[in-house]
Amino acid sequence: MPSLPQLIEEDVQELNRALQDLLVKAEASVALIIDKGGFLISQCGEHISFDTTTLAALSAGSFAATQSIAGIVSETNFTSVYQQGESYSLIVLNVDEFSLLAIVFKAHISVGAVKYFAHGTVKEIATQMKKAQKREPNSVLDLSMLNLADPAPVFRKKKSA
Amino acid sequence: MAIINQATKELQVKIVYYGPALGGKTTNLVQVHDHVQTAQGNKGKLVSLATSSDRTLFFDFLPIEALAIKGFKTKFQLYTVPGQVIYNTTRQLVLRGVDGLVFVADSQYDKMEENVKSFANLEENLKTLNLSLNDIPYVLQYNKRDLPNVAPVEYMDFLLNNREVEVPSFTASANKCEGVFETLNMITRILLHKFISDSNRKAA
Repeated sequence: MPSLPQLIEEDVQELNRALQDLLVKAEASVALIIDKGGFLISQCGEHISFDTTTLAALSAGSFAATQSIAGIVSETNFTSVYQQGESYSLIVLNVDEFSLLAIVFKAHISVGAVKYFAHGTVKEIATQMKKAQKREPNSVLDLSMLNLADPAPVFRKKKSA
Repeated sequence: MAIINQATKELQVKIVYYGPALGGKTTNLVQVHDHVQTAQGNKGKLVSLATSSDRTLFFDFLPIEALAIKGFKTKFQLYTVPGQVIYNTTRQLVLRGVDGLVFVADSQYDKMEENVKSFANLEENLKTLNLSLNDIPYVLQYNKRDLPNVAPVEYMDFLLNNREVEVPSFTASANKCEGVFETLNMITRILLHKFISDSNRKAA
């Protein structure tokens, strides 16, 4: 099964730069790049005030549900999900086969403007992902650092008081 | 598939709890959430997208960071699927990007047919994602052992653990948190072993 490419520092820097640029132009609060499986790849903005891990998982779920609805009504072009709120609004846009861009912005900001600026960001992210995909994956992460000989369980149950 | 971020040395893994309706998938996550020992801030909130009668509608989601893996940020994302037959599309969506599976079976005799059907449904749904149980690590949990009318473990193994490669199976009473951590630790260890062997193969 094809999956998100391996990202190196250069990729992450480029993705962060694209997100930062979007936040400034669109005056948005938070921008996230999310894997379609629900993982958070990169984030920028006032994310301290939001639980971005959960935001990423729910946005991916919501987008996946919308895609299935599109399939049911024979529509192939549901490329975004928009939720309008009273304080904040959210838009989730399709980037490529593997990733999504989610943007949280103040409700008084026009979604049209956010979409307009996000269009360029989506292209930039997709280009960087393609670059990462093409790169020779010669420097794999050294997982041998994980000491599995250690019999301690990965998760431990709290001792009851 | 798991995200390995080389820039931040972060590993993110998705584990899905699958099984028949009312088998105890959500209870497993609730118990992990309530009892897991974590460094402060490493346990996320348990999010349940459930109906008013507490039946899972879309999924439950629990992000946790592992304790014992030094030098690595290893984040596990635990999901459940809705067990009810009508929610099959939802189950397919939740399976997207899955790395490991826990199949939670209901040990009561009269639930055996549902267990077998749910397991077959899992295989079918993996097929739609071009995956199979030969590629995705999984473990079995025989839940509700505290109830009086349970089937013997050997019988459940015969029904559910009869593939070419026998996988680890655990008895559990998830509502008492028995067998919950044993199951979770086994699937995470199998997964980490798989990542290491995949990584070594790529590096070779």
